[in-house]
Order: sequence, then C-alpha cells, then structure tokens
Amino acid sequence: MTAFEWIRFLIGSLFLLVGVVIFLTELFGVFHFKYVLNRMHAAAMGDTLAISACLLGLMIFSGLNFTTLKLFLIIVFLWFASPVSSHVLAKLETVTCENLHEHCEIYEDISGLERELAARTEDKIAETAKETEAPVS
Amino acid sequence: MEPYHTLYIALLLLFSFLLIICLIRAVKGPRVADRLMAVNMMGTMVMVMISILALLLNEGYLIDICLIYAMISFLSVVVLSKVYIGIYEERMHKENGKEDNSHDSI
Repeated sequence: MTAFEWIRFLIGSLFLLVGVVIFLTELFGVFHFKYVLNRMHAAAMGDTLAISACLLGLMIFSGLNFTTLKLFLIIVFLWFASPVSSHVLAKLETVTCENLHEHCEIYEDISGLERELAARTEDKIAETAKETEAPVS
Repeated sequence: MEPYHTLYIALLLLFSFLLIICLIRAVKGPRVADRLMAVNMMGTMVMVMISILALLLNEGYLIDICLIYAMISFLSVVVLSKVYIGIYEERMHKENGKEDNSHDSI
C-alpha cells in the first residue's frame, strides 16, 4: 500500500475506534444507572453518535462510490428515528409506571415547575449577592 | 488488503461480544422499557456489523439490507411501545370497571 492509502486506513480506523469507545461508554452507562429513564440517556448516545462515527470510518474506507451515499443515508435516517423511538419509550415508561414519583419529581401542570425554577434562580442571585457583599463588609 | 481484513474481523468479534452484553441487559431488565431499550441498542450494533460485513465481502447491496434493518428496528420499537401502552390502559380500564361493578352490587 502507498503512503496515501496508509493515511486513509489510519484516519478510518481512528473514527471506528472512537465509535467503539462510545459504544463501550453506552454499555457502561446502561449497566451503571439504576432506572430506565436514566439508562435511556446513555442508550440514546449510541444510536446517533457512535453509529455515526463507525459509519463515517467505513465511508472513508469505501471511497467515493454509491455505497458511501447509502451509508450516509443510514446516518440521516437514524438522526430522525432515534429521538422518536426514545420519546416513545419514555412515554411507555411514564404511562405504565405506577410509582414514578419515587424516582423523579412529577409536576401536574407546568406552572408549578416554572414557579420553583424562578424561586431557585432568585435564591441563587441572593446567594451570589451575599458572597460578593461579604468581603466588602 | 491484509490490514483491512484483520481490522474488519477484529471489529466483528468485538461487536459480537458487545451484543452478548446487550442481551444480558435485555434479560435482566426489570421493566418492559428496559428490554425494549436493549433491543434498540442491539439493533444499532447489528447495523454496524452488517455495514462492516458489506465492506469485508465487497458487496454493496448489503448496505440496502442495513437500511431496511434500521427501518424495521425503529418500527418494532414504536409498535411494541404502542402495543404495551394499549394493553396497560385496557387492563386499568377493566380493573376500574370491576371495582365499579362490585361497588354497585354492595
């Protein structure tokens, strides 16, 4: 193989290595977290980022032909499909789980959450104001 | 093309190992959503394996199969989620109906 082909091989295998590392991270996250809605966060990463990196490496290997276009089509399809399937799975979990409030806070309407967030930011502003005032006094 | 061949075989072996770990998650998962999520992950890994196989065998049409596999995997997750939501709601509806009937009889 010529020098150019070796460089192409190295760049492609670098992308594949990144993809495999992200897949391993995904698996670690799936076994590390304790609840489905947390695990879903780790699992959604592999659906888009890891497969994109792997297929990008394979696209570099295959060169400029029709196969590359089809590999790109798979990546584009997964960009659209993965968020939808994650959303549907989260909906399944929130609908069927009877003791969801043990795992996360539930707000019946969105105004309660907005009020709490506003109170939290006000507290933070007050704290920072105190911290900045303290050395002066 | 010796280095490419070695790399593809090594990646296929690695992905088959990761697939078995995904299968463990699917068997262990305490809830239905856990299992469906593991199946989705396995689908993603199988897609990468099919793409590697297409380049290893130098057969372009295997990529078409990969694209169709992506569509079917997405469809299976969506349809199974909808089916389980439907089953759950029907069961809740039935239980509530039974309770109402018992109250009426008492």
